Amino acid sequence: MAQLFSPSFGFLLRLGVLAAVLAAVTLVSAWRALTSYRAAPLDALEQPVPFSHKHHVGDDGIDCRYCHSSVESAAFAGMPPLSTCMSCHSQLFTDQPALAPLVDAYLARAVLRWQRLYKLPDFAYFNHSIHIAKGIGCASCHGAVDQMPLTWRVAPLTMRWCLDCHREPAAHLRPATEIFNLHWQPRDPSALGARLLSAYHIDTRRLTDCSVCHR
Amino acid sequence: MSSLRQGLWRSLEERTGADGVRPTAQPAAPLAGMDRRQFFEALGASLTLAGLAGCSRPPQGEIVPYVHAPLGQTDGLPRFFASTLTRDGYAHGVLVESTMGRPTKIEGNPHHPASLGATDIYAQASVLQLWDPDRSQSVLHRGEPSTWDAFAAALESLAVRFARSAGQGLHILSGTVTSPTLAAQLDRVKLRYPRARWHVHQPSGNDNALAGAELAFGQRLSTQLQLRRAEVIVGLDADFLGDPAAGVRYARDFVEARSATGSAGMSRLYVIEPTPSITGAMADHRLPMESRRIAQFACALGRRLGVPAPGCAELTPDEARWLEALASDLQAHHGAALVVTGAGQPAWMHALGHALNLALASHGATLACTEPVEKLAEVDGTLASLASAMHAGEVDTLLVLDANPAYDAPADLDFARGLGRVAHLLHLGLYRDETGVLAEWHLPQAHQLESWSDGRAFDGTASLAQPLIAPLYGGRSAHELLAMLTRDEVTEGRALVRRQWQRELPDERAWQAALQSGVIAGSAFAPRSLPLRQLAPAPLPNAADQKGLELLFRSDPTVGDGRWSNNSWLQELPKPLTQLTWDNPLLVSPALAARQSLANGDRVELRLQGRSLRAAVWIMPGQAEGSVTLHLGYGRRLAGRVGSGTGFNAYLLRSSQAPWSSAGLELVSTGGSYPLASTQRHFAMEGREPVRVGTLGDYRRDPAFATAGDEFPGAPPSLYPEYPPGEYAWGMSIDLNACIGCKACTIACQAENNIPTVGKEQVQRGREMHWIRVDRYYEGAPENPRSYSQPVPCMMCEHAPCELVCPVGATVHDAEGLNVQVYNRCVGTRFCSNNCPYKVRRFNFLQYLDRSADTLKAQRNPDVSVRRRGVMEKCTYCIQRIEEAHILADRENRRIGAGEVLTACQAVCPTQAIRFGDCADPASAVAQAKRSPRNYLLLAELNSRPRTSYLARLRNPNPLLEEG
Repeated sequence: MAQLFSPSFGFLLRLGVLAAVLAAVTLVSAWRALTSYRAAPLDALEQPVPFSHKHHVGDDGIDCRYCHSSVESAAFAGMPPLSTCMSCHSQLFTDQPALAPLVDAYLARAVLRWQRLYKLPDFAYFNHSIHIAKGIGCASCHGAVDQMPLTWRVAPLTMRWCLDCHREPAAHLRPATEIFNLHWQPRDPSALGARLLSAYHIDTRRLTDCSVCHR
Repeated sequence: MSSLRQGLWRSLEERTGADGVRPTAQPAAPLAGMDRRQFFEALGASLTLAGLAGCSRPPQGEIVPYVHAPLGQTDGLPRFFASTLTRDGYAHGVLVESTMGRPTKIEGNPHHPASLGATDIYAQASVLQLWDPDRSQSVLHRGEPSTWDAFAAALESLAVRFARSAGQGLHILSGTVTSPTLAAQLDRVKLRYPRARWHVHQPSGNDNALAGAELAFGQRLSTQLQLRRAEVIVGLDADFLGDPAAGVRYARDFVEARSATGSAGMSRLYVIEPTPSITGAMADHRLPMESRRIAQFACALGRRLGVPAPGCAELTPDEARWLEALASDLQAHHGAALVVTGAGQPAWMHALGHALNLALASHGATLACTEPVEKLAEVDGTLASLASAMHAGEVDTLLVLDANPAYDAPADLDFARGLGRVAHLLHLGLYRDETGVLAEWHLPQAHQLESWSDGRAFDGTASLAQPLIAPLYGGRSAHELLAMLTRDEVTEGRALVRRQWQRELPDERAWQAALQSGVIAGSAFAPRSLPLRQLAPAPLPNAADQKGLELLFRSDPTVGDGRWSNNSWLQELPKPLTQLTWDNPLLVSPALAARQSLANGDRVELRLQGRSLRAAVWIMPGQAEGSVTLHLGYGRRLAGRVGSGTGFNAYLLRSSQAPWSSAGLELVSTGGSYPLASTQRHFAMEGREPVRVGTLGDYRRDPAFATAGDEFPGAPPSLYPEYPPGEYAWGMSIDLNACIGCKACTIACQAENNIPTVGKEQVQRGREMHWIRVDRYYEGAPENPRSYSQPVPCMMCEHAPCELVCPVGATVHDAEGLNVQVYNRCVGTRFCSNNCPYKVRRFNFLQYLDRSADTLKAQRNPDVSVRRRGVMEKCTYCIQRIEEAHILADRENRRIGAGEVLTACQAVCPTQAIRFGDCADPASAVAQAKRSPRNYLLLAELNSRPRTSYLARLRNPNPLLEEG
């Protein structure tokens, strides 16, 4: 009876197993890299009006809360009604083609559809007001929007990203006066964080409870 | 130690041990017509596709800002508006939660006398009614879509004609009217068209009570009970806790007089009734008695108390013993006694009730009479007179305002045929119902949450109703329609109501104040006292009335008189006492069932006065032997997708002469069985001692009687470590002495927490989703058992059995003691539910929640996740409300104050039986309740350390009738 396996079979088998392991490792690594929460931030999206935070915040110095008016009182930071835009733009750049969709919508009382950059899944209940009240600055999640001609997303908004901060909140706290300052840097982060943690009465026991964000 | 801790039962089968199977056990997902190969193909395909689905990013989403922001609205924060909802015409004050302009939830208005902050089940269900996709959505002319303008033109030509004929042939039909605006408009119709006629048809109205007052005092009067002051109450077929006008308020007053620790002592309630009601379930003594016999008993009681009552038949020894005990107890509480007569009893019984109350000096103390709250019907303003006018061909135009006589008119009026002789039938209604399809013009009505109106509560207090949203389908209110008919110069709803209240609320500030508080101050009617007239002798018991079985007609405990048939929350709400859903079988007594060898679900034919109806039977413990009960509101043909074809139409047997009960019924078994979905045996806690009851005597001897026999007083030792304490320790206490079993908590929870309904077939399999169920336990012989209600939400165990068995950590403890369910972690093993001794977890076996109907999406609470198929869910103590309060308090660096978090079930409870709060704060109401000696834990011996605890039920029996 002839040999069932050729002499080179053992070598080929080892080679095959090695190849399979390598392929698996490559696939897993590629998958991890692609889905990593540190994946590239979301690029700016095409918006109906090329709104520039750089111009409005950086150049003109308009406070965040002028437009995002409910950021201190509600879960939703607030998206300005068109009438807020028109409080200036009824006088300024009204006839610029870039503003035409805004002006047209305002006059026709029609809707203007902005593309959402920061979207959480429906089962996560994020609340702006409590973060503002407890010393998390706008820049912590939204970055230096005053340098963004078109707004892009700087945070991955994954659960791990949320938890990184909820587990160690002290490092991210800032004084109440610096919440809306987009370029504030702590001088002595560790001492300040511990002090603010107690000043804000942050109950770290429950910050990672499921019930804090999921209902 | 109470002797009553043994012998509780939930169903007759359980009691007799006849049937060991609980819900119908069937395969979870029938693999219809699939062989093994196909199954694995489908399995492979779905796995592959599931992998692909993981590759896509979540949908992008848009932000669409307002053009002009609504005044006073902060995006994402709910706002509350005071308004009025009516039930059977009577006003209930509510606060409507508006989420970004969408009415999503109803709460009671604490300032309103009929609410005091609570609501009934109908107020809760009215948001679902508003968003019901089956609502009528356009004007229809002979079934073809038309417009309001076309209707206005048609009405114009009618109005011209009626102006010439002074309204000859114009008839208007409505339900009970308490709205001062509508009443004034009806007067205006009369002024403009003097020969027009207005008819009132309320299928479960209180005509007998009004007529009884007329017999007693010479004029029709409304009666109000002052149960807080009553020490002895006798109910004669009276379900005052379920009263459509004032049940919520009466329940609160009644329970406040039932506190064992209060200074006033504990009141005593006797109920004599033919068919069990929630009031009877709260009674210290309950006597089942045929409706027709109650009059005899009342006469005997009258004679015993010195009221010149007409002759009556002999009482049985048992009845005589009752009479003696009752009479002496009533006399001993002269001035604090109360006799209540039910709406189903004839007018002269109500007159006799007034005479009894006068003899007991109850008027002015426990009872008040006021001028009628509702607009009194005209002479000949009945449905019967309308029917005879129709049959005589005298009705040219019939305007039906939010009524459905083609369905709910008594059968002897032959109403549908009469409608055929009406030249112009105009129908204003929320649905294109049985009457709507016959109408020449069907007009979509604006919902109560879409229109301006007003109404009066049981005590006359007037309140305004304001719209929360513009009419979804261009509907108009009855006010606006009557303004068109009378060619009023004011046509718009708000202006019509404003004009009505110009005198009482002269300036804008007073108007705004009335709108804001939800009541018009000082508008309650003053009590009247009138001398009693000579009572006419009672009609002698008619031999024909004594023959055969008597058939009782009662409003259904959940769908009412049929108005709420298309409301799935109400359909699936287990009815108090029977725990039935989706049906209205004929309730028969156990003795009758034994005599005719009937079992639950057996099909029978009812024969009454030449009419017949096929129905199924349900054996009702506590039903009087010679009485059978059929609830109204079922058997509808055109209710909508939810309500059509459910149950049996009792109106087909009802007669206009005897709308509440008819004697001479023949019951014939036809063989076969009808499937009924009762939840009474679902989620059983396996024969332990869930309800603990003692008498007042037990309580006085040992206040801690409820836990006296327990193996471990206090918490037994445990091997599990304690959780470290959090900032708050949330807990709940449920007072079984206050729970009347009305089930408002179940439906409030459903509205708050986006809980789906599952349908009759799924309920039969035990898959209903209610997070808080209300168990009903019987004790004693089935002929007249005592019944107890027990609401069961999640126990929030400190050592939770469910948490230990979850393989994916989807149910975990949080720092404040909540047992949290994380839907997006849950993979649906159902281990947790199997390990839960209280059976409070609910599993989405199928995709129950409607994800397609847009209007239903608008109803949902945005603060609560919507659960999908395959996910376990359960009570969260309204975590969304806790978190809202947490965020608000944390923002201000303070603790959450008392009463800042009310769970939905707690807020709605008419008797404040549910208390919720921080157990760690000794001053909190819940901590105080837990210190009560009546406090006990459900299944304490399992040492799961529940955060939800109960206060034992108390009874206050009369020593003459029972050893206490």
